[in-house]
Amino acid sequence: MGRIKAIITKEFFHILRDPRSLTLVFIIPLVMIFILGYSISYDLNRVAAAVVDLSQSRLSRQLVRAFAANPVFAVRSRDGAGNRLSLAAAEDLLRRGEVREVIIVPADLAQRHAAGRPAEIGLVIDGSDVNVANLAYQYSERILLDLNAALMGGGRLLRLGTKVYFNPEARSQFFFIPGLVAVILLMISAMLTSLSIARERETGSIALLFISPLKSGEIIVGKTIPYIIVSLLDGAFILLFARFWFGIPIRGSLLVLLLFALLYIVAGLALGILISTTAPTQRTAMLATMLITMLPSFLLSGFIFPLDSLGWALRALSYVIPATYFLRIIRGVVLKGAELRHFLFEGGMLLALSLLLLAAATRKFARQRKAVQ
Amino acid sequence: MSHPAPAIAVRDLRKDFGVFQAVRGVSFDVARGEIVGFLGPNGAGKTTTIKMITGLLKITSGTVRVDGLDNRTQLVQVKRKLGYMSQKFSLYPLLTARENIEFFGGISGLSPRERARHQARMEELVPAAVLRQKVQDIPPGLRQKVAMFVCLMPDPGIVLLDEPTSGVDPEARRVFWNDIYGLKKLGKTLLVSTHNLDEAEYCDRILIIHNGELVAAGAPDELLRQRRKASIEELFKDAIEEHGQD
Repeated sequence: MGRIKAIITKEFFHILRDPRSLTLVFIIPLVMIFILGYSISYDLNRVAAAVVDLSQSRLSRQLVRAFAANPVFAVRSRDGAGNRLSLAAAEDLLRRGEVREVIIVPADLAQRHAAGRPAEIGLVIDGSDVNVANLAYQYSERILLDLNAALMGGGRLLRLGTKVYFNPEARSQFFFIPGLVAVILLMISAMLTSLSIARERETGSIALLFISPLKSGEIIVGKTIPYIIVSLLDGAFILLFARFWFGIPIRGSLLVLLLFALLYIVAGLALGILISTTAPTQRTAMLATMLITMLPSFLLSGFIFPLDSLGWALRALSYVIPATYFLRIIRGVVLKGAELRHFLFEGGMLLALSLLLLAAATRKFARQRKAVQ
Repeated sequence: MSHPAPAIAVRDLRKDFGVFQAVRGVSFDVARGEIVGFLGPNGAGKTTTIKMITGLLKITSGTVRVDGLDNRTQLVQVKRKLGYMSQKFSLYPLLTARENIEFFGGISGLSPRERARHQARMEELVPAAVLRQKVQDIPPGLRQKVAMFVCLMPDPGIVLLDEPTSGVDPEARRVFWNDIYGLKKLGKTLLVSTHNLDEAEYCDRILIIHNGELVAAGAPDELLRQRRKASIEELFKDAIEEHGQD
């Protein structure tokens, strides 16, 4: 009994006196319950929907109001310049990922209603996220049923004619695998640099770099460039695997994807360097990188749960996660054949994030070097 | 008549890690062209002192001057004067010896021509087949030779060697010290830390450090005579005991 008591006491001392154990016991569960509690939700909230109203009648306006009044949808019927959305503009929004569905009101809606004939309301759904597509369809149908009931006591005056774009077979792999490519790429690129610097620190070789005439910026650039190439090759490799093993179609330009991947990878590598400045060993660097890259990328980037369902605080956090932007890009390019012009905002954000992270990493690294000296 | 500044001048150097005082007010000079042995058991403060001289470790208090330059305010110039071979790491094990020479030449700012000249010189000292091997596969003695060569590539006037002979067999140690003499003949100043007391005989002067304090300093023969001891080992014990009584 005395022997067991000794080991119990020693373990408690270890737990209480080791900050890492305390973090593991108290901080990580809190962070996880907070993030998971707010992010794991299949409830739809303000799903972006575009309306192309070709009828411009009283009834069509009533229909649009019915969608707009439902908290599930955030309806837009005009473009940035204030003009009514055309079919082409709405399709562009769908391809860009700015809306999840397009509601098309036929030009002869009022005439059909007057003649007591049923009319078909077009519904084009972005099928890349199978869950969201299903739920959006169900909610849309419900709105139409209610409207029918209000109009003629439950008859089927208005019917939905649905088309699913980008993933008509509703294969969830089409949604998840491009997302996985994004998450894996971020994790691998961050891990490459974080391990590389932590290894130099662990073996002591970093001392020779510090004592050399090399400037901190030169070390960072020298460390980053080889891993950009390795990460790009890695990205190409997993994308090819996704294409030929899982049969994910690549409908857009690989060159466009490569350009955005480059920015995304630089952000990941810079993040790795930033992590490595606080990680004394390779093991710590690896664990920290996995936690910092995977958890937010899985939960807060739109990879599994739609960003629309996140609370405002987590939604704000999602804007600083590089995966949020690259996910939209890779899904857009791979599944929807989207082009460079569709992702200027996402590209700009990736560029800004990668530059910011790179500047922060260089600054932290230089400060650490100075602090040592 | 003005005397030239010593190659290294250390004054009241201290290093604290929290409440632990690793180096406690150490002062010494290393004159130009001399070989000074820095002796002491593991944990005595040798590496910490050397790291503070190189600027790799922040000084708690005291000063270090290298060739008259303050290493806190003129570190960039100080780095150009120093060659440093660390105890923990000196070469990348997954790179070949040749690749290490290329890398360290590159980061030291040597031109491709100078690097090629160094490669050629290295081939005179070490068999070409060895140079093509990964460093991790080279025997320790030869590895040390390559590490020393790399350390000297930028042609520093002052060389700090931290435990260069640890883990090396006696024959390789003898060869290594011959090389150090060769460097002295070229006018280099050398501060060599070791916990092998028998290596004191190779040095012009020795510094004995214990628990972060300098307990003896001088030429080995002179110290033996002063303290009436027959060997460095006895001298070492005597200095430590005397220090313990203080």
